[in-house]
Amino acid sequence: MRSFEDDPTLDDLLTAEQLQRLTHALSALCRKSVTITPHRQDDAVAVEFNLETVGWLSGGASPGERQAASELVSFLMMFIAKYRLAASLHHDTTEASYAELQRQNEALRASEARYRELSGQLQQRVDDQVEVIQQTQQDLYESSRLRSVGHLAAGVAHEINNPIGFISSNLRVARDYLEDLQGLVPDTEANRELLDDFHDLIGESVDGAKRIASIVSDLKTFSSIDQADYTPCDVNALLTSAIHLLQTEHGHQLHIMERLNDVPKISCHPGRISQSLYNLLDNAAHALLDAKPKKGQGRILVKTAARDNEVDIVIQDNGCGIPDASRSQVFDAFYTTRPIGSGTGLGLTVAHDTVRAHRGTIKIDSREGAGTRVTLTLPAT
Amino acid sequence: MAEYTSEDNKLALKVVFYGPALSGKTTNLMQLHSLLNPERKGELMVLETRDDRTLFFDMLPIGLKSNSGLDLRLKLYTVPGQVQHDSTRKAVLSRADAVVFVADSQPSQQDNNANAFGNLEENLEKVGLDIDTLPLAVQFNKRDIPGAVDETVLQARWSVTPWSPLIMASALHGQGVIETLRTVLDRLYTEIDNEFELANRHGIDRSQFITRLSASHEVNRA
Repeated sequence: MRSFEDDPTLDDLLTAEQLQRLTHALSALCRKSVTITPHRQDDAVAVEFNLETVGWLSGGASPGERQAASELVSFLMMFIAKYRLAASLHHDTTEASYAELQRQNEALRASEARYRELSGQLQQRVDDQVEVIQQTQQDLYESSRLRSVGHLAAGVAHEINNPIGFISSNLRVARDYLEDLQGLVPDTEANRELLDDFHDLIGESVDGAKRIASIVSDLKTFSSIDQADYTPCDVNALLTSAIHLLQTEHGHQLHIMERLNDVPKISCHPGRISQSLYNLLDNAAHALLDAKPKKGQGRILVKTAARDNEVDIVIQDNGCGIPDASRSQVFDAFYTTRPIGSGTGLGLTVAHDTVRAHRGTIKIDSREGAGTRVTLTLPAT
Repeated sequence: MAEYTSEDNKLALKVVFYGPALSGKTTNLMQLHSLLNPERKGELMVLETRDDRTLFFDMLPIGLKSNSGLDLRLKLYTVPGQVQHDSTRKAVLSRADAVVFVADSQPSQQDNNANAFGNLEENLEKVGLDIDTLPLAVQFNKRDIPGAVDETVLQARWSVTPWSPLIMASALHGQGVIETLRTVLDRLYTEIDNEFELANRHGIDRSQFITRLSASHEVNRA
C-alpha cells in the first residue's frame, strides 16, 4: 500500500485466493453463485468500504441476496482494513523513524569526524605552542643570563677601566723615574740589586696592568654584544691584523701559516669580529705553548674560503687539544682551564656570541694531545 | 493536503483531532459518529486500543456529493495523545487540511494542554505545515467536570490568538461536539474554496458546506 491513509483497493484488502474462498462461501449461502470483481457488472451492487466502492458483487438469486452478501462483505472488509491500516501506519512510522535514525547517525558520524579532526589539530597546535614556549624559555634564559653577566661585566669594566688606566700610566712614569734614580743613587752592589729588583717589580706590574686592561677590553666587547654597528668588512684584513697583534704579544715567536683565499666581504661589527678572531688565535697560541715541552715547536694554520654565500674561517693548531670532559663547557662564560689570573674564561664565549649575533656558526673539532680546529662560518653579504 | 482526483471528480479532505492524552479526542469522534447525519457517513473505525487508550488512530469518513458530481470526502482522524506515540501522531498529522485541538478543562491539565499544543506546533513544522495558516479550532472539553477552569478565564487567555473564540464542550454528553466541527469546517472552507472553486464550479457555498457535512439527528428531531 502506498500511504496508510490512501483508500484501499480490493487487491489491497484480499489476495486472489482469499477472494476466491470468500465468493465460494458466499455462493454456498446464496441460492445462486456470486462473484466479486473490481469492475462493475450488469446486475452488480457496490461493495463499499469507508464511502469508497472497493468492488462489485454480482450473481445471487435476487437483489435482496446480492444486497445482503454485499453488506456481509463490507462488514468483513472493515476488520481486514483495520488491520491493514494499523499495519501500514506502523510501517510508515517505522520507516520514518528509521530514516530519522539514519539521518541522526550520519550527522553524529560527521560530527564525530569533525571532532576527531579538531582534536588532531588541537594536539598539533598544543605541540607547536609547547615548542614555542620551550624555545622562548630557552632564549629568555640565555638572554637573561647573558644580560646579567653583561651588566656585571659592563659595570666591572667601567669601574676598572679608569684606575687601570692611571695605574698603567703611573707605572710607566715610575719606570722612567727609576731610570733617573739609577744615576742618583750611589753605585753599590746592594743598591744595584735593589734597583734591578725594583725594575723587575715595576715591569711585572706593567704586564699585570696590561693584562687587566685586556680583560677589561674583552669584558667590554662581551657586554656590548647587542650593539649594532655593522659595516662590510674584509675578513682577511681582520685576520691579518689579529695575527699581527698576536705575534707582537708573543714576541714574533709563533709559526703561523696563512692560507687566505679571496672571499666576499661580510657585513659585520669589525671590532667584535676582530676580538673574536684574536681570542681564537690566542687560544691556539696557548695550546701550542702548553704542548711545547712534549711536542716542540707547533704551528697555527689560518684558512679562509668562500662557499655558497658563506665565508669559512678555519683556525687550526697542533697543540694540546681540548680534553673530552671540558669540551661541552668551552663556550660557558668564565670557564677556563688556565691558571687563575691568566685567562678570563670569556674568550670563546665572546667568539661564540659574536658569531651568533652575526647569524653564523662556530664549530670546534679537537682531540686531546693532537690539536684543535675551530671553524667559523659567517654569511656573506 | 487536500487531494483532488479529476478522473473520479473526488476531493479528499483530512481533519485531525489533536490534543493531550485523555482529553476526549476519541469521545468527540464517537459522538460525531452517533450525532451526525450527513449525506454520507462511513463506519467509525476504532483501531487497536489498550486500556481504552488509542494506540494508532480512529477514523470517521463523512462526505457529500454536489450537483456537479463532486465527490467530497472528509476524513476525521484522532491521534494517540500519549507522549510516547509521537511518531504515530506525526504520521497521522501529515497532509492534514485542518486540526481540532481538544484541550482538557481541568486545572490540573493546563500544563499538559500547553505541552500538547507545543507538540502540535512542532510536529506541524516537521510535516511541512504552518500553524498560522492551517485552519484550526480549539475546543475545551470536559466542561461537566466540577472545578473546570472558568470559561471567561480561558477565553481571555486565548483572546489574543487567531483561534479565539474557544468552543466549550462536554463530549461525553455530546455537547459542543458539532459546534466544534462546524467551526473547523468554517475555517477550512475559507482555505479551500478558492483553490477548488467549491462555490463557483460545484455550487457549494460556505453554509452548504457546513450544514451538509454537519447535519445532525438533533436538527432533524427539532
